[in-house]
Amino acid sequence: MTTKSLTMPQLFPRPKSSTGIWSWIGTVDHKRIGTLYGIVSFIWFIVGGIEALLIRTQLASAENDLIDPETFNQLFTMHGTTMVFLVIMPLSAAFFNWLIPLQIGARDVAFPRLNALSFWIFLFGSLIINASWITGNAPNGGWFGYAPNSGTTFNPGMGMTYWVVGLNVLGVASIAAGLNFIVTILNMRAPGMGMFKIPIFTWMTLITSVLIVLAMPVLAVAGIQLMSDRVYGTHFFNSLGGGDPVMWQHIFWLFGHPEVYILILPAMGIVSEVLPTFARKPLFGYPFVVFAGAAIAFMGWFVWSHHMFTVGLGPAANTAFSISTMLIAVPTGVKIFNWLGTLWGGNIRLNTPMLFSISFIAMFTIGGLSGVMHASPPTDAQQQDTYFVVAHFHYVLVGGALLGIFSGIYFWWPKFTGYFLNEKLGIANWALMMIGFNLQFAPMHWLGMDGMPRRIYTYADNMGWESSNLAASIGGFILALGILVFMINVFYSKMNKVMAGNDPWDGRTLEWATTSPPPVHDFDEIPQVKYRDDFWFQKYPETIAEYHHDDHDQAVPSGAQFDDGDDVQEALPVVSGSSDGHGDGHSAIHLPDMSYYPFILSLGVAGLGAGFLTNNTVIAVGAVVLVWGLIGWAMEPVNDPE
Amino acid sequence: MANLWQKLTQHDGNGWWNLPHGPSNELNPPFEGPIGGAWFGNLWRTLTHGNVSHAGVGFYWLVGFVLAIITLVEVWLFTVEGLGAWFIPLLLFLSLAKFVGVVAYFMHLRFDNRMFTYFFASAMIIGILIFSILLVLMKHASQPVLF
Amino acid sequence: MTQAAATEHHEPVENTSTGLNSRKLMMWAFLASDVMFFGVFIATYLVYRGKSLVGPYPSEILDIPLTSVSTFVLLMSSLAMVLALHYVKAGEKNKGTLWILLVVVLGAIFMGFQFYEFREFAHEGLTPRTNIFGTTFFILTGIHGAHVTIGVIWMAFLAYGSHVGSLRSDNSLDLEIAGLYWHFVDIVWIVIFTVIYLISFSDGPPAGVGPTILH
Repeated sequence: MTTKSLTMPQLFPRPKSSTGIWSWIGTVDHKRIGTLYGIVSFIWFIVGGIEALLIRTQLASAENDLIDPETFNQLFTMHGTTMVFLVIMPLSAAFFNWLIPLQIGARDVAFPRLNALSFWIFLFGSLIINASWITGNAPNGGWFGYAPNSGTTFNPGMGMTYWVVGLNVLGVASIAAGLNFIVTILNMRAPGMGMFKIPIFTWMTLITSVLIVLAMPVLAVAGIQLMSDRVYGTHFFNSLGGGDPVMWQHIFWLFGHPEVYILILPAMGIVSEVLPTFARKPLFGYPFVVFAGAAIAFMGWFVWSHHMFTVGLGPAANTAFSISTMLIAVPTGVKIFNWLGTLWGGNIRLNTPMLFSISFIAMFTIGGLSGVMHASPPTDAQQQDTYFVVAHFHYVLVGGALLGIFSGIYFWWPKFTGYFLNEKLGIANWALMMIGFNLQFAPMHWLGMDGMPRRIYTYADNMGWESSNLAASIGGFILALGILVFMINVFYSKMNKVMAGNDPWDGRTLEWATTSPPPVHDFDEIPQVKYRDDFWFQKYPETIAEYHHDDHDQAVPSGAQFDDGDDVQEALPVVSGSSDGHGDGHSAIHLPDMSYYPFILSLGVAGLGAGFLTNNTVIAVGAVVLVWGLIGWAMEPVNDPE
Repeated sequence: MANLWQKLTQHDGNGWWNLPHGPSNELNPPFEGPIGGAWFGNLWRTLTHGNVSHAGVGFYWLVGFVLAIITLVEVWLFTVEGLGAWFIPLLLFLSLAKFVGVVAYFMHLRFDNRMFTYFFASAMIIGILIFSILLVLMKHASQPVLF
Repeated sequence: MTQAAATEHHEPVENTSTGLNSRKLMMWAFLASDVMFFGVFIATYLVYRGKSLVGPYPSEILDIPLTSVSTFVLLMSSLAMVLALHYVKAGEKNKGTLWILLVVVLGAIFMGFQFYEFREFAHEGLTPRTNIFGTTFFILTGIHGAHVTIGVIWMAFLAYGSHVGSLRSDNSLDLEIAGLYWHFVDIVWIVIFTVIYLISFSDGPPAGVGPTILH
């Protein structure tokens, strides 16, 4: 490339060591980046959980004055923002990073440095949002930041500015990651792995990535508009200047509803991997699950106004969005029935991952059904801004996304680390989470039906809401105890290692074909793929006839010309985009070298963001660092010449 | 001309909806012209001396010329009185022509792999749909009961 | 026709599952993302069109002849871009460098026009804070201008690369990808020119709401 004659003095020597802090800062290894995503987002998970516990403590009794209203506003805003943008999205990203190259038989993602950049920008974005706590002026306008309440007129403090700047920085990280995974999944598949042979988690990642790439720019624009309103005094959402606060709601939910599916689809993918493994059956109706996911992703764009039924869009608009909202329940229902069909007649083992996944189906169905209730505008008018809505989306996001993620953690922990998480502690973790979760959020249904509004810092003692609220608060602490047991489990299992081996669960997909934990280069030899769930059929070739009736060649794949009817693809000799991975041993495997430039570039982006919060000098410094990072990045060869 | 639509929308009889499987069976039409069909492609090759799958210099100049003419027509339309309700649709149509011209020929989408078209078109379709709905909703925002 | 004939005219096939270059695929995905990005800004402009409560209104301030020229300049830069790519691919180094430089120059001229226009508008009393037209106009065209600026800098680097010989026909993909970005910025401007300048030109005060209603 351009570096061949354009050489530039290296401002930093490349990191070479594979241990120590600099090796983590310079890493481009998808597994390490996945670990970083996991650790950082789990820390934010604890922060967001503490915020939730403070909220629940305040609401445990009537007319409680533990927390003043302003702090309460900050707590629920930061709880929502943290859990959506700093926990569930990056925890999913941790799984994308760890698993996608392993599942498609690649040695890394398509753009390893861009991958590192995504993580670092995410880290700095999350720090920017949470830095607002230090200034004592955290965002307080709700996680959706409705105008005009988020404008300077009603919200003169810096809190919401931190919020928009932080979200915009996070958006850059998400889009970069989304682009990376789209290209990785399309371009880096192992030879023979057609699009309908990739594991279902990979499919859901692809769909989620497409949604991220198309939806995050919408949030970015909303953020830029709100930021320019706040910082430069423009009129986007200021009705005195001709703007319209309803536009904020439209733009935010144009992003916000696809975002809901960005949060839930990865968990659906995880569950779709766990259920077949522990039922020892292939996923029931794989194409249906794929197309249902794609249908959800497409229809998810056309339902946003169901968040705005009480705004007064008019009967025609409300009817249209009511219908589209009810329709989107159909592909979701398809998935639920496919999961049930997977379990049906299976040889089920109830290990911890399976318990979480089965709970996912039940809890997500409850959350989904209460969502269908909101699809009817007259019903929604009664439920809008009550605790019923809180109950609904916590059933979807905690009972759905989070349980799915925990299922994935228990499922793939042996692959990530080489040893199991303790099963007994795992079951205790699951039981405490399920009890706490239901105790916390089920009473919110009837609290909401009884008219208790969201986002109030306290309530009168004659409303009859005390016992339910107390139960919810106790449930919250039991749920937190479950998370605590999980953390104990992580440490306990690290101290008392029970080694897992390469394939502890009798898995079906390619990540179980390599060692646990995988080597830096993932696979000694790039696998050749013949079937969906190829690893299973390599282990049990006698089952090929059962599932591939039309396939008469029952030999283990030879890597030559394949004749699997539905998706013919010729074997390619090499898969990895940046390496020449011919199977002549490790010496021929070229992995991308480590680089500091993603870190430097992300510092520049963070500086630009911080500049909007402080002054123009910081913007200038950020821009200089950004340009330095960009030039260094462009000039640095992916691999040093040897 | 009866099958002009087919030529416009299909790559050499290879349906647009077939995703490429791999490099070996990827069929980009080497003798297809700018709007499809071998006869047209050969004509262009003669006219432009270009390699057809990468249209030649003359072809690019021609597209650039057409785009410039369309821009001139737009500015001219702007000075014409009495177009009334036709004004905006006409302008939108001409802009669409320019848009398609740049995307199809300058950005090479007409001759390139269909995957790129899917990427771009899916964003355009979703964008146009949701922003049209948004415009309709906001247009009636002040008198919702009438709508 | 045979496979051999089909591949004869083609670039070297990439060693990826789809046979497509990863960077090019990512650029197209990024452009899809940018479609949504500009889509929201343009939709915002259209929603707020004609809703300004105080002047200056578009009819009082837009200068169509001036913007037509700058539109033409940007369009021609796109033409220069494809020609540059053609010559770089053909290995004609000097012509390639020249055409890339022309892209840079035309892009810079466009930026100059925009800078001049912004200054003129500010002199005539239209800033992002004046009214909703100012808000939507400046932010939309400003963001587009930022895209053009990035493109000009990128092209300048490539022109230098072509001059010193590090951009050649075998890695012309670097230029092709930059070109995709450049053309995209051009088509966004095609849309902006139509919706802001040509269609909105006659926009005055909103019906029923005279400028006198405020203050």
